[in-house]
Amino acid sequence: MSEFWQQVVGGLATGSVYGLLALAVVLIYRSTTVLNMAQGEMATLTTFAAWSILQWGDYWIMFPLVLIIAAGMGAFIERVIIRPVEGAPVLNIIIVTLGLFAIFNNVSSWRWGGIPKGFPTPPEIHVMGIKFFGGGALDIGPTVVSYHDLTILVFAVGIMVALYLFFQYTPLGLAMRATAQNPVASRLMGIRVGRMLTVGWALSATVGAVAGLLIAPLILLQPPMMMGVLLYAFAAAVLGGLDSPVGAVVGGLIIGITENLVGTYTPKEWLGPDMKLTVTLLIIVVVLLVRPTGLFGRRTMRRV
Amino acid sequence: MLQVRDLVAAYGPIVALHGVSLDVPAGSIVAVLGANGAGKSSTLRAISGLLRPKSGSIKFEGQRIDHLSAEQIVSLGMSHIPEGRQLFSELTVLENLRLGAYSRFAQADGGGHLAHRQGLSLLGRLQHDLIQAATGGIRDLARTIRGYRQRKQDFEAGLKQVFDYFPILAQRKNQIAGTLSGGEQQMLAIGRGLMASPRLLLLDEPSMGLAPLVTREIFEIVQTINRAQGVTILVVEQNANLALEIAHYGYVLETGYIALAGTSENLRKSEAVRRSYLGQ
Repeated sequence: MSEFWQQVVGGLATGSVYGLLALAVVLIYRSTTVLNMAQGEMATLTTFAAWSILQWGDYWIMFPLVLIIAAGMGAFIERVIIRPVEGAPVLNIIIVTLGLFAIFNNVSSWRWGGIPKGFPTPPEIHVMGIKFFGGGALDIGPTVVSYHDLTILVFAVGIMVALYLFFQYTPLGLAMRATAQNPVASRLMGIRVGRMLTVGWALSATVGAVAGLLIAPLILLQPPMMMGVLLYAFAAAVLGGLDSPVGAVVGGLIIGITENLVGTYTPKEWLGPDMKLTVTLLIIVVVLLVRPTGLFGRRTMRRV
Repeated sequence: MLQVRDLVAAYGPIVALHGVSLDVPAGSIVAVLGANGAGKSSTLRAISGLLRPKSGSIKFEGQRIDHLSAEQIVSLGMSHIPEGRQLFSELTVLENLRLGAYSRFAQADGGGHLAHRQGLSLLGRLQHDLIQAATGGIRDLARTIRGYRQRKQDFEAGLKQVFDYFPILAQRKNQIAGTLSGGEQQMLAIGRGLMASPRLLLLDEPSMGLAPLVTREIFEIVQTINRAQGVTILVVEQNANLALEIAHYGYVLETGYIALAGTSENLRKSEAVRRSYLGQ
């Protein structure tokens, strides 16, 4: 039983990372219907920036700094690269993001080299005698969990709660939701739609950056680090419904857990770890056959 | 209050307005009548900034507004309630009303810095935009914190007023807007427009898709808004009978031209209007 729970918690942790990157994808998709192919590479780039900052600075100085860099990068990309092609067909814009993917990937290799680098987990902090973050493992009764898995869960939950509060209870969050639904009406309300899109990209890049910082200690920092993760993130977003932030997270968790359980419990001769991605994607196909808009997708009917 | 002169506007190569001129005196209700495709909605879209005019001028309270964007114009005190209502149909009634008041909270800056931007090089513009985005965000934040209580009071007062006009909206304030009936949706659209506390209301086809009784109810409330609050109203309507009943002045649009203009009584008496628009 212990092994089962270990796999589940591990799946929750990696699933959270998929969910965070899926969330980043959804934040852009639902306001622009653009699937940002460069989402993973943007996160890789900010994680490399984080690595460089760590060469002279403390982790907790680096962390806010990287979030600011990511937000600035997201805003800059929207303003300078996406804005000029705004009116173009969606496919064209997706190709542009594919171009960004190639550029960022090359920049990472060129500036930081292709040799995998170790990346630290957040250093431990003690609050009221309870240890947060850091290495080691924690005995939680049914099983033993690594501290980094818990760290990932804490960050993921924190970000989701923060985003929920932001979208639900602040005027800016409400304006962003309005813009995603009806840009023309939003303009009539006095909302500057362009600025909302810029904020959306900034937010998305920031969430992606956290995903990068959290996954890097598990899979080593290198230019193609996020490629596999982005594939899972896309799958998670589609599973949850591309326009639903909640769906993205739930989709990520489902995929994370399924992947771990299939990898552990199916016999090697039959499926086993090598086929875990296939099985996961197969489950997604089945879900989409039943619910074409994904688990939480709502855009089933559209008024003409 | 509003003066439109020789307004020409087009969608790409298709010219929708061939030089429309009209006046809306303060405190009045002015109706624009006409058949489908006559350019009624385009006139409103051009006035509210959704459709950039090719030539001509639009003055609102003495200020030229034809170079301003829709998001700037609304904060000057003009609300456009568009054709087909254009609600945020997945948000609640209350959220729609909140968004109606958005322009009062985060007032878009006037045309000043835009004119400044025009004179800059490409790189200068980029720098200008980035600084604007950053400082604009900080300004908004500062405004949000400053005078929070005042704006909350203004919002509550506006909300109470809308609920007084449309009590049904108060009952349904937590309902998703898309699930309201057609009449309720039109009420919400008007209520959302009123939340910006406009001095001029542009109303596009309030009767569209509604039962005659509901339409009448809405027109009566529109008249009340005009009388009780002194809000000037420019209404576009296919139902000429009803529109001329509440309006002081009327214009008849025909394929992008003003074909007829006059007081409501004169238009109702006019042979051409009776034949084409009143069905008499």
